[in-house]
Amino acid sequence: MLEPTLQEDIKQKEDKHSFSDFMPKYGINALLPPLGLIAIIVIFSILTNMRIVEANSINLILSQVYVLMIACVGVFMVMTVGGIDFSQGSILGLSSIVVSYLSFYNIPLAILAGIVTGACIGAVNGFFHVKFRIPSFIVTICTMYLFRGLCAYFTTDSPVAAVISITKYNVTWIKVLLTVLVLVAAYIVFNFTKFGITLKAIGAGEKGALFSGVRVELMKFLVFVIAGAITGFAAFLNVIKVGSITATAGSQLETQILIALVLGGFPISGGAKVRFYNIIIGTLIYCILNNGLVMLGYDSYVQQLIKGIIFVIVVALTIDRRTGQVIK
Amino acid sequence: MAEIILEAQNVSKAFGITQAVNKVSLTFNKGEIRGLIGENGSGKSTFVSMLCGIYPLDEGKFILEGKELNIKNQVEANLNGISIIVQEMGTLSGLTVAENIFLGHESKFVQYGIKNTAAMNREAERLLNEYGFYHINATSMVDHYTFEDRKLIEVVKATYFNPKILVIDETTTALSQHGREELYKHMKRIKEEGNTVIFISHDLSEVIEHCDTISVLRDGELIDTVKSSEVTEDDLKLLMVGRELGSKYYRTDYGEPISHEVVLSVENVSIPGQIENISFNLHKGEILGFGGLSDCGMHELGKAIFGAVYNREGQVMLADGTNIDSIPVAIKNNMAYTSKDRDNESLVSNETIRNNICLPSVSDLAERGMLWSKKLKQFAEKFANMMSVRMANIDQFVFELSGGNKQKVVLARWLGKDSDIIILDSPTRGIDVKVKADIYALMDDLRRKGKSIIMISEEIQELLGMSDRIIIMKDGKISAEFMRDPELSEEDLIKTMI
Amino acid sequence: MNLIHRFQELKTDKRFASYYGVFLLLFLAFLFWSIFRILSPENFGSLNNMSYYFQSSIIYSVGACGFYFIVIMGLFDFSIGANVVLSSIVGVVLSKHFGYAGLLIGCLVCGALIGFINGFLYVRLKIPSMIVTVGLMLIYESLAYFVAQGQKQTLDPALRGFAKAPGNILLALIVFVLAGLILKYTKIGTYCYAIGSNERMAENMGINVNRYKILGFVLLHFFVGVMAILAVSYGTSMTAVTGMSSMARNFTPLMGCFFGVAFRKYCSPVIAIIIGEMIISIIFNGFVALGAPTTIQNVITGAALLIIVASTARAPRGAVVK
Repeated sequence: MLEPTLQEDIKQKEDKHSFSDFMPKYGINALLPPLGLIAIIVIFSILTNMRIVEANSINLILSQVYVLMIACVGVFMVMTVGGIDFSQGSILGLSSIVVSYLSFYNIPLAILAGIVTGACIGAVNGFFHVKFRIPSFIVTICTMYLFRGLCAYFTTDSPVAAVISITKYNVTWIKVLLTVLVLVAAYIVFNFTKFGITLKAIGAGEKGALFSGVRVELMKFLVFVIAGAITGFAAFLNVIKVGSITATAGSQLETQILIALVLGGFPISGGAKVRFYNIIIGTLIYCILNNGLVMLGYDSYVQQLIKGIIFVIVVALTIDRRTGQVIK
Repeated sequence: MAEIILEAQNVSKAFGITQAVNKVSLTFNKGEIRGLIGENGSGKSTFVSMLCGIYPLDEGKFILEGKELNIKNQVEANLNGISIIVQEMGTLSGLTVAENIFLGHESKFVQYGIKNTAAMNREAERLLNEYGFYHINATSMVDHYTFEDRKLIEVVKATYFNPKILVIDETTTALSQHGREELYKHMKRIKEEGNTVIFISHDLSEVIEHCDTISVLRDGELIDTVKSSEVTEDDLKLLMVGRELGSKYYRTDYGEPISHEVVLSVENVSIPGQIENISFNLHKGEILGFGGLSDCGMHELGKAIFGAVYNREGQVMLADGTNIDSIPVAIKNNMAYTSKDRDNESLVSNETIRNNICLPSVSDLAERGMLWSKKLKQFAEKFANMMSVRMANIDQFVFELSGGNKQKVVLARWLGKDSDIIILDSPTRGIDVKVKADIYALMDDLRRKGKSIIMISEEIQELLGMSDRIIIMKDGKISAEFMRDPELSEEDLIKTMI
Repeated sequence: MNLIHRFQELKTDKRFASYYGVFLLLFLAFLFWSIFRILSPENFGSLNNMSYYFQSSIIYSVGACGFYFIVIMGLFDFSIGANVVLSSIVGVVLSKHFGYAGLLIGCLVCGALIGFINGFLYVRLKIPSMIVTVGLMLIYESLAYFVAQGQKQTLDPALRGFAKAPGNILLALIVFVLAGLILKYTKIGTYCYAIGSNERMAENMGINVNRYKILGFVLLHFFVGVMAILAVSYGTSMTAVTGMSSMARNFTPLMGCFFGVAFRKYCSPVIAIIIGEMIISIIFNGFVALGAPTTIQNVITGAALLIIVASTARAPRGAVVK
């Protein structure tokens, strides 16, 4: 009846008021996450009588940041194209097992094997998502289950231990270096290469990207492989910290990533408004929140309750409703 | 003797900056079949949509049988005796025929919350038989039926409760001759029962033949209402278009020979169920126009040539023998495509102007894999300025622009890619006259530079004005071919379209 | 060619189609049964076994029937497992004072309430259902822990009528009949399909889309409340654990739901769900009978659902899939 342009205008006018209508234009919305970070530091400093900013506590917080932040990088890219990856925890678990096994032979080999394991699982995700056109959340829930089962299977008799000497790598400067390396590399790729620009385009408008010559199917496949590979790399950092892998290694990582990204202001449907700092700020806020709640002595279920409520509120505030609901 | 049933008083509606309907006042009589005509963008669809509860009015009101009409959706419109048969698909997949017919009105069959499905099916079956649609089954899923049959179901849905006013919005273009006959039958029946039909169509001869009176809209305003017995098609065309379009609007040259150099050869291209065995050659510096009714297959052909259709058969080949089988290949070989669906296909609406312009050229712009934002910005600004895009800055999001400016961004990106073969599908749809003129000038300019253009358009004037050759398609096949000629008229083309 | 054509034509005939669907499902069930029966005749497949398999499958079928209402509208819900935990704990707590009435009312009302909250927040906040229910899952798990005071909640042995036949079958049957009736004989069924088909058009036809979405969630979680009754009866107790462990319970009902969606054209979705869950139960128990470790079960679950979805719930070519 009416051409698409006019229908768009109508839809905008008629969408009822929602939270983000009260948010000022894009510019200030981008300030919210950093402000949130400062706010949370301040709040918990007050609540814990400055205990949270003591050296011990900061170390503790940071030690949780590395694996999460690296894993977020991969999922960040997946979510930029509008997909989602629930299998991250299982990827971490299985890759950690592989790293541990091979740590007895050769450390670089082990690291590489971890990356390859992650990439393979990612490839399974990408394959089913692209070739069979199954929504990514279904595919990754299935693979989450599948590979979690494998993890449990390999650790049936006992946890898989890595070579003891591996913990010598568990020093701050190595971990910071590796994390920063991943972040910088990803930042460059995401913002300065053809790959990054086309990822954002796919997230912003898949059909439009297709007609602009973007190889959408290939990109979507690759992005899952990369997400898996990056988490496979994070497995190394995980192993050096814990030393041995149990059946539940990495479980809930996917939800932690989701919460962290949301807290960092990541627009849930992806697209053009994603910003790299979502990862950094989000992870920091999440870890501070986590530790702050522990420090305040709340029971674990109360902590979870608070996290759940904050999550829902923050998503409601930051979701970009203009992008429309491709995921309903 | 004529009794007024509906009165529109100063009805207006704007979408963003576009004033779609501007203070239109009209009266409709009982027992009348009123034709409503106008070019694309004239406001006729918007006008009837407001009447049918699909859009709210900005200004003005409708007065039905003396009372002001206050409706919020189609179902309320139905309850007031107004119904519409829309242009696109008006039935919902996954539901049965009976469910579709009574959608929104199930309360007739509901008692204490339980829906008497059997009774509903029986009633639907009875209606279908009454209408003579014996081949349609009330309990089957609507998905089993062809588009035309689904339209017939919509006819039942829209008329079974004897509406006071029935709007038929460009429905006939999608129907076969048989389907149309059915529709005309029901239009007559409604008229004889003393009710009113508002009939929208692009087919002027059809309008003159089946309507008592005809109202003409242009640019959102009412021009005139005339008796169909007193006008000819030419009269109507003049009313629709207004002033003589200045000769500077379209191309002014005639008789320039087309180069013999073939840049694109299309051989036996088919899409099962949509187009069949299309073959033609595109020459260098040629503007090849494609015309036909909206479902003749020309839009699908455009996509097929660009490599965007996965089940295309046949061959699309460049002069150097390269086969065009996918969009990346097409773009790499300097082909360009602008879609009829501007917001979803030609552009990535939720992205910046800058990224939209750079996207197809991203491989060329990369220096050893890296894309520097300064370079991208300069590139984008250069071509945005070349097209005189009216924007706040290059990082503005495309969805904020007007239709005309969006189209300029689309063209800017292909200028940036310096494409040699450009497929334009409905390039001036929904765009105001000033920008249209700019686009025509650009097309002429490109042509002179040796670029080749395929223009797919539903606007006949545009085809006549701009093309070196015009190919008319009908029912998925090529129906006729015309050479550029000042004597060529709309009738000549239309005859081969329907 | 002729035979194939006739077969295709027959498939569109409604009556034949429904027989075809049921027949196919029963055939699959028989197929899997035979495979495991042959591989492990002593541990698997006797009539007693089958009865056991069926009774364990109906918990999930009940949940799947509820799931169906929102899945056909294109929505999703991760908090089903959390609902089972929370509702069953509420039910047990109430049952200590009010017996069966407490159990039933506790589970059902809690369930429906959760459904209402989910639907309401989804509609008001306009967050994708998948995301908002992840957050709600966290909240419900915590609430469950709170209500249970961290203690394992055991259902009084005297109140375990729903743990075995005929109690459990009767209860499940009520749900199945209810679901089937609602889908076929009320506006809810039609409107849910309509919203799933084309939401804009449905809205234009005067359908109050938001209301039916909320209703869908309420129905879903009401049925999940029934699932909670069965779960706590079978398991005799329920422990609230946080850390998203309830996600595990989302899975099997989801699989059954997909059977319903896939076979919608061919037969009543409720029947497809019941047989589908039975097939899954057969496969699971088959592997157990073969002595496969329980960890492998998850692998099977994941792989099975992936295969089921890949063969049935694919989006059409050209559609945008996220």
